[in-house]
Amino acid sequence: MTRREKRKEVRLTFEKQHGIPRVSATAVDRSEQAKEKERKQIEQYKALERNVSDRVKSKDYSGSTLQATSNLLTQNPEYYTIWNYRRLILQDAVHREVASGHDATGKEQIDEKDIAAAEKAGLTLPQQEISLLVNEDLQFLIPLLKQFPKCYWIWNHRSWLLATATKHLPAKSTVKLWQAELGLVSKMLALDSRNFHGWGYRREVVQELERLSGSSMAEKEFEYTTKMINSNLSNFSAWHYRSQLIPRLLEEREVGSEDRKKMLDTEFELITRALYTDPYDQSLWFYHQYLLSTLDPGNSQSTSLLHPVTNADRAQYLQQELDSIREMLDGAEDCKYIYQALLECSLRYLEVGSGNRSPLENEMKDWLVELKKIDPLRAGRWRDLEAKMKL
Amino acid sequence: MSLAAGPGRGGGADTQLPDELALVVEKQVAYIQSLDKRRDELEYHLTEHLRISGVYWGLTALHLLRHPDALPRDGVLDFVFSCLRPNGGFGAAPGHDAHMLYTVSAVQILAMTGGFEELETRFPNGKMRIAKFIADLQQPNGTFAGDEWGETDTRFLYGALNALSLLRLLHSQRTDEPPLINVSAATAYIKACQNFDGGFGVAPGRESHSGQVFTCLAALSIAGELDSYLGEEGKDRLGAWLSERQLPSGGLNGRPEKLVDSCYSWWVGSSLAMIGRFHWIDQKKLTRFILQCQDPEQGGFADRPGDMVDVFHTVFALTGLSFAGYPELDEVDPA
Repeated sequence: MTRREKRKEVRLTFEKQHGIPRVSATAVDRSEQAKEKERKQIEQYKALERNVSDRVKSKDYSGSTLQATSNLLTQNPEYYTIWNYRRLILQDAVHREVASGHDATGKEQIDEKDIAAAEKAGLTLPQQEISLLVNEDLQFLIPLLKQFPKCYWIWNHRSWLLATATKHLPAKSTVKLWQAELGLVSKMLALDSRNFHGWGYRREVVQELERLSGSSMAEKEFEYTTKMINSNLSNFSAWHYRSQLIPRLLEEREVGSEDRKKMLDTEFELITRALYTDPYDQSLWFYHQYLLSTLDPGNSQSTSLLHPVTNADRAQYLQQELDSIREMLDGAEDCKYIYQALLECSLRYLEVGSGNRSPLENEMKDWLVELKKIDPLRAGRWRDLEAKMKL
Repeated sequence: MSLAAGPGRGGGADTQLPDELALVVEKQVAYIQSLDKRRDELEYHLTEHLRISGVYWGLTALHLLRHPDALPRDGVLDFVFSCLRPNGGFGAAPGHDAHMLYTVSAVQILAMTGGFEELETRFPNGKMRIAKFIADLQQPNGTFAGDEWGETDTRFLYGALNALSLLRLLHSQRTDEPPLINVSAATAYIKACQNFDGGFGVAPGRESHSGQVFTCLAALSIAGELDSYLGEEGKDRLGAWLSERQLPSGGLNGRPEKLVDSCYSWWVGSSLAMIGRFHWIDQKKLTRFILQCQDPEQGGFADRPGDMVDVFHTVFALTGLSFAGYPELDEVDPA
């Protein structure tokens, strides 16, 4: 293992971001006082839980029940049933607002200020109320989301709130809500750039904004991935998103074969520069593999970026990558990913290229020997590859 | 730890690990038996929302440890039936709402304890009612929601197929009856979740993740489409991605450039086993890493050496040891 790999391994293994350190048995022997304190906490928690569930069972969907669910969820955001209860309460409030819009008799005590505010926002009074309700709940979620960024139920509740708003409010005000969500999810991803809940939510938000505005955000999102990659090269989530955006981008730009080629070249240049910075980083190699996969008609999960594409094009790119990766070996002879990529490119090249095969085949044998030596963890894989290569 | 079904508080820092690492079977059994006796700890109550899954994990661990009767069968079944809701789904604990995740755990426990007869006795037509709850959650695009509130995830899709298969109510298991779900729509959805690297995500276009790779492969396997869909090329591509999850410590991670965690012994290990490529990682090193996650004094396994143990990591660490051929453990079925 190189020093660099060792450093990375130490970082990966012992950086206890999510792990909870084990405490020794003696430290756990709690004093009577501590036990008493915990007993009280349990009593209070169970009482709150009973209170919430009794109220919901008796269909008490009041503001104070909503507040009680807030208290409980703040203590335990994983308690999915309580999120369901919260939605029942909110749903009831929304239905009452919608009903009041059809029924003018209940409108005697409306504040003039409320009417003015609703008019200013271009909303009816019930819509204004629904908008406030949703906004308040979105606010309630923000500190929870920051504290528990990997809790499925919080993200899920947020989606539900947005969907509810979208159903009941005019597009103009809904767009504002979704735009605010894009800001929020960018902040969440700045805090943890690999949070897959965040990346998934981002796609949901973008999809909805595109639907509401009728225009694509692919260019902007592509820029966003560039920004994320520039701040942390190792962010595979951003590279992955990029791989999803490029084919769309090319379609939307309606570019010809030259510009498509230019795009592919630019991406190869970008990833090659990154690989020179850190050839030990898997994320980068997987993006490199993505670019190669667009040239592989055998990979049905990857669409070609070039139109048209011939075997001569494929051979030319594979040759170019073989040359470029060979150069990376200089000073990084212990980097297993380089040998893997060389073998991958070579196997592809032998399928589409022409000319004398044996010089390359000889090199492949050497690369495989090196790979077996420096990557004993995957010895079984390299044995299978050797059999498959039939060299 | 959000996934802990019961609080594990073990002793022994990692500096005290013995030179010769070995599985402490009796302590592991005692640890699992102790999980339901911690009602004086707040954590026990804060994790009630996944209690039934905790019971499933504990029971599976005991089966692997060859102590299947270490939890009282009657008590387990009483608890499971107390979680059944009028709509045919199960909640995580009595009074909790029905959800796919906990319905699957309940069915898994019933299958493991041979409890389907009691189910039918206590709840006439129980199996079919459960199956209907599950089938009703299938969406027009083939995937499954977790509950009536509509969240979808390939975890739920796998859960649905797994539970229906254990209930023996998949169309392929009773061809003379009309199908309850659309299996080909479900597998079409899974295929749409596959990426260029051979892995699968939560939804189409989403980044590959080992947990999702497991759910998608297992669903394809239950539907009988795994081999025909992937082919040798597809298995090689996915196997390559999966085998790169192993880091020099021997542990496995869930995605590129993430931390190792003992629970990926299951998500990655079973996936590799399903595509016949478990020998693509170093089993000795994996075994060593998993044993370093064990609390040798109080039993239980943690995510990483020196961390707090919990039953979720305990069962998936044990499955990893089982795959790697550790003695004293029963074999496990990857799907």
